[in-house]
Amino acid sequence: MFENIPVEVGLLHEGERIRKNDMHVEFGGPSISEKFEIVRVREGNDITDGSIHIIGPDISAMEEGKSYPIGILVEISGSKLEKDLEGVIERRIHEYTNYIEGFMHLNQRYDIWIRLSKKSFKKGLTSFTQIGNVMHELFKNELPFIEKIQITFITDAEKIHPLYTEALGIYEARDARARGLTDEDVDTFYGCALCQSFAPTHVCVITPQRYANCGAISWFDGRAAAGIDPKGPIYAIKKGECLDTEKGEYSGVNESAMKRSMGEVKRVHLYSAFGYPHTSCGCFEGIAFYIPEVEGFGIVLRGFRDVTVNGLGFSTMADSTAGGRQVEGFHGISIEYMRSRKFMSADGGYDRVVWMPLETKEKIKPYIPESVYEKIATEKDVRTIPELKEYLISHQHPVTQLWEVDKSLDKTTASQMPVFSAGDIPITAGGVRIILKNARITAEKVIIQPVKPHQPRGGDHGDTKRS
Amino acid sequence: MVELRRDSVNVKIKELNSDIAHFRDLSITIGAITKETWVEPMGPTPYPSLTTLRSWDLKLLERYKPFYLPFCDLCCMCTYGKCDLTGNKLGACGISMAAQQSRTVLLAACIGASTHTAHARDLLTHLIERYGEDHPINVGELNVDIEAPLTRLVCGIKPVNLGDFEEVLDYCEKQLTQLLSVTHTGQEGNNLDFESKVFHAGMIDHVGMEVADIAQISALGFPKSDPEASLADLGLGTVDIKKPVILVIGHNVPPATEIIDYLKTRDLMSEAEVTGICCTALDMTRYSAKAKIIGPISWQLRYVRSGVPDVIVIDEQCIRADILQEAQHIHAPLIATSGKNCCGLPDRTHDVPDEIVADFVSGKITGALILDPVKVGEVAVRTALAIAPKREKHKLLPTHDELIKLAKKCTGCVLCRRACPNDLPISYAVKAAAQGNISGLDELYDDCVGCGRCESACPQKIPVHSIIVAAAEKKTRDESYRIRTGRGAIQDIEIRKVGGPLVLGEIPGIVAFVGCANFPKGSREVAEMCMEFAKRRYIVCTSGCSAISAGMYRNEEGKTAYEIYPGSFEAGGIVNVGSCVSNAHISGAAIKIASIFARRPLRGNYEEIADYVYNRVGAVGVAWGAMSQKAASIAAGFWRLGIPVVVGPHGTKYRRMLLGRSDKEQDWYVYDARTGEKVYGGPVPEHLFFAAETKEEAMVMVAKLTMRPNDTSKGRAIKLTNYIDLHKRLIGGMPHDVHLLVRKQADIPLTMKEDIEKILKEMEWTEHEIPDPTLLSRMIRKSKEA
Repeated sequence: MFENIPVEVGLLHEGERIRKNDMHVEFGGPSISEKFEIVRVREGNDITDGSIHIIGPDISAMEEGKSYPIGILVEISGSKLEKDLEGVIERRIHEYTNYIEGFMHLNQRYDIWIRLSKKSFKKGLTSFTQIGNVMHELFKNELPFIEKIQITFITDAEKIHPLYTEALGIYEARDARARGLTDEDVDTFYGCALCQSFAPTHVCVITPQRYANCGAISWFDGRAAAGIDPKGPIYAIKKGECLDTEKGEYSGVNESAMKRSMGEVKRVHLYSAFGYPHTSCGCFEGIAFYIPEVEGFGIVLRGFRDVTVNGLGFSTMADSTAGGRQVEGFHGISIEYMRSRKFMSADGGYDRVVWMPLETKEKIKPYIPESVYEKIATEKDVRTIPELKEYLISHQHPVTQLWEVDKSLDKTTASQMPVFSAGDIPITAGGVRIILKNARITAEKVIIQPVKPHQPRGGDHGDTKRS
Repeated sequence: MVELRRDSVNVKIKELNSDIAHFRDLSITIGAITKETWVEPMGPTPYPSLTTLRSWDLKLLERYKPFYLPFCDLCCMCTYGKCDLTGNKLGACGISMAAQQSRTVLLAACIGASTHTAHARDLLTHLIERYGEDHPINVGELNVDIEAPLTRLVCGIKPVNLGDFEEVLDYCEKQLTQLLSVTHTGQEGNNLDFESKVFHAGMIDHVGMEVADIAQISALGFPKSDPEASLADLGLGTVDIKKPVILVIGHNVPPATEIIDYLKTRDLMSEAEVTGICCTALDMTRYSAKAKIIGPISWQLRYVRSGVPDVIVIDEQCIRADILQEAQHIHAPLIATSGKNCCGLPDRTHDVPDEIVADFVSGKITGALILDPVKVGEVAVRTALAIAPKREKHKLLPTHDELIKLAKKCTGCVLCRRACPNDLPISYAVKAAAQGNISGLDELYDDCVGCGRCESACPQKIPVHSIIVAAAEKKTRDESYRIRTGRGAIQDIEIRKVGGPLVLGEIPGIVAFVGCANFPKGSREVAEMCMEFAKRRYIVCTSGCSAISAGMYRNEEGKTAYEIYPGSFEAGGIVNVGSCVSNAHISGAAIKIASIFARRPLRGNYEEIADYVYNRVGAVGVAWGAMSQKAASIAAGFWRLGIPVVVGPHGTKYRRMLLGRSDKEQDWYVYDARTGEKVYGGPVPEHLFFAAETKEEAMVMVAKLTMRPNDTSKGRAIKLTNYIDLHKRLIGGMPHDVHLLVRKQADIPLTMKEDIEKILKEMEWTEHEIPDPTLLSRMIRKSKEA
């Protein structure tokens, strides 16, 4: 497949790291201010399939040990291609170029950092044409909806500048579109059954405003994956009729979940941790857990190594959450979902969140409404539920309004039926008298079993002979 | 009368009169009083008996039919014998070759499992005496919720305190008695039933190991599932021989921890060197990272003969039977500390330390049995401090000139080579040495397993092993490495983290390098394999002597595997779980995957979990230097969970392999739990027990055996990539069975598309669905669609 490439190309080179001493040259990275890579969807007539252009010096003309500016422009066309997929396809640059032995690609967009190893350079990997050829081959093989692909490498700093500025604008526009895209805007959601290989009853629904629980698959990723392999583990779900706008219930999602879970999951409320919450697999990034005492949610991420405010750690609660079940009040979530405006919106969103670790709170600060940010307690503020209660009251957290409504909590504890009860049970045994005062023997279950009579002794030398 | 025993409470009342009732001869027996805090309902098979899981075993054995390799084709176990069992002959008792081979395997597995269980029992008894039965179990603080996966799975109990393990060991001991009795003449005669019991012994072994390691982690403050457990020194070169040196050998750590405590409390830690060989060494670095590991078991002779140790303390398992003589040769007192290994020494347990130390220092005794670890701590340290200055290092190793003189005695009879388990060209090297060229002997050092059989065989009484070690003296001085101390269990959190990468095909599998050091080509190969799989972003686990060997090699930059790769359970991590008994954390991690992702109940639910692990978790064990009976039972415990094990060439001496037949399509059908249909799941994992002849063959096989029928296409693609790539590099060309391992177009690794598609076309390959695989018809799901 890559006969003309002097080095190996394969998945196993993906994790390869090239240290400074081993590198021949470097492109982008921290010492270069302007660098980028971008994928653009073009009209078919505008590009020539397979053409590779290099603007500026090629690798062979570069000085060993130096850092160079870089721009990578990948232009593609195809009748099924959409502009919305540019970002997803762009990330494949990272994946594919890393397959090349001795070629390390880090990060994405305006942040790329590439190194070529001395070894691979010596083996003859000396031109971007070779890199381009590999990319061309892999893009077309793996993403058959790309009909034409044209790749341009720019190493001339002056030529990079205008393209870099343009690229920044495109990234920004793309992000704005992704942020602005709502579940109402689209007619198709995506389902992911990858986790079913380990959690057979889990069904993940991916919408523009609800990332997959693992945090690895966005709606755009889903769209691309389902487009590439419609029979694959990531599939389109026609969202159908909206049955409940607030809770996020859709007829198409229900039908799909029913089918994929074999009836285990009949309804899904996309934006709620109650009623019919989205199922949780095993690899969710965080948990939203209900704290009944304060009628609010705590949030904890996988990396938090302490107990949360309810006295339980992530692991313990994860055990109650996982396994592809719909568990009310224990909700597996991704960090990206926490950035969504639909985040548990049916339950009150962040107005219902009462506790989260400081690190998490800071991480998602821009996404928490300012009005409630200071009212959410962290492990630095409170350690216990009573302390949390006080904190919420003193900070006038919105959940405290809920408390007013319902104060009559029925405190009946499940009582066990006494099996045997008497004021005094005096016991006389072997000259000692024991009195059990107000004794009450309770049992969760009383089993009355007929006592098995002993088997008569077997064999010829048994009882019969004696009698 | 009230009788309170550990496992039951009996209340007997002769006469009971009350207002409401009269009782006579009332007897109340309560089996056990436990605080029930675990809400999970009991599964179908708590405390399984010899036959409870037989049908599961037979399912596996139907696929992986035992392929017998009689290491000995006679049976000499009763007075009818010796019976020749070759050529379909039956023994005097009627036993066949197949049954006799598996009977011997069962015997070995019983020995192995008993050894771990007995070790666990001694350790637990000691730790309970010292810390109380209420001492809480803690293997990983908040990051571990499932504290004892094997105990939960097999016994159906959730241990909270050390005391809770007593009944677990009671169960193990009962089962082991039952199992051993099966090997008596005139019991089981069917080979598959023997094999099923081998699996049972293996399962018990893992429970015993789990108890031992959890007990010592909890009570002795070992690292608790810590990916960043500190690094410890490893190798002869790290020892400051000017200081008094104590050597500990074996597996039971309390005497070693007492030695360390004695030094610490007297602020003597920097005044002496505490060094160790084998698992006690590993475990004492978990206690104090200042202790030093010399090497795996194969380093016993070479280290003792170096004359460096001033006092040798042995506990149990894998200790050379001639250790007393070897110690006497270098004038180092020997302290035996275990009732299981008394070495014929006088029992000084009840003598005062002053007297014992004085007797050692004066040379009145050369060894003593002391069955009290605290006393061992004091005696060993005081003796070492007192004796070291007097005892110049009694080197047994010949000088260069002496070596050549000794080599000249060689008559070239080649008996040394015939005695050598690895057929090393010893006689050539000795011959060259006689002519002044010792490079051949020096080269042998790396491959030598240190058994010393060459010496016993030499009619000229040349100390062959010593001259090999002497020739490599420079090398031994350079043995200076770093090893990550055993971290214990895998965190639940870590398992959650790798869930995504596993299904997304970013992690090809989990490979565990375990077991002894009977390597065909020395430690280096284990280190190389570990690094190669870590580089390929597998999750690599190590334990026991293999964990030590993995650290005894440096890359071009002078770094050992543990310094290059992180100690976390993630892609490209090298996770040293600890000593032999820590192996339970590796099987435990596989079990936890079922609980964590699918939330399958563990409690007394062995079969379902094994079915899950077998069909879904791409784990493989490698025991490259497997030597002991313990290695046999450890492997058996993995098999019953459906985890394949690859052994080195000496592994064929375990008498049989468990091999699948990828050419027989009918062998590879599974139920699709979604539809209930029996569908072709593909020949994965192809074998359950496989001996590889070379490192290269082993690596290719490992890559293949990580495949499971549930693999997502991305997962299968990465596994195929590694399998094909390793095959091309190490064996040459495309493997012959690619078409059997590709299920769908999407399984094909994209960088190998052309080559593979060509093969698929030639083989008239057709696509087949990826099932939700299970071997158990009861796991077929009932659709609730309505």
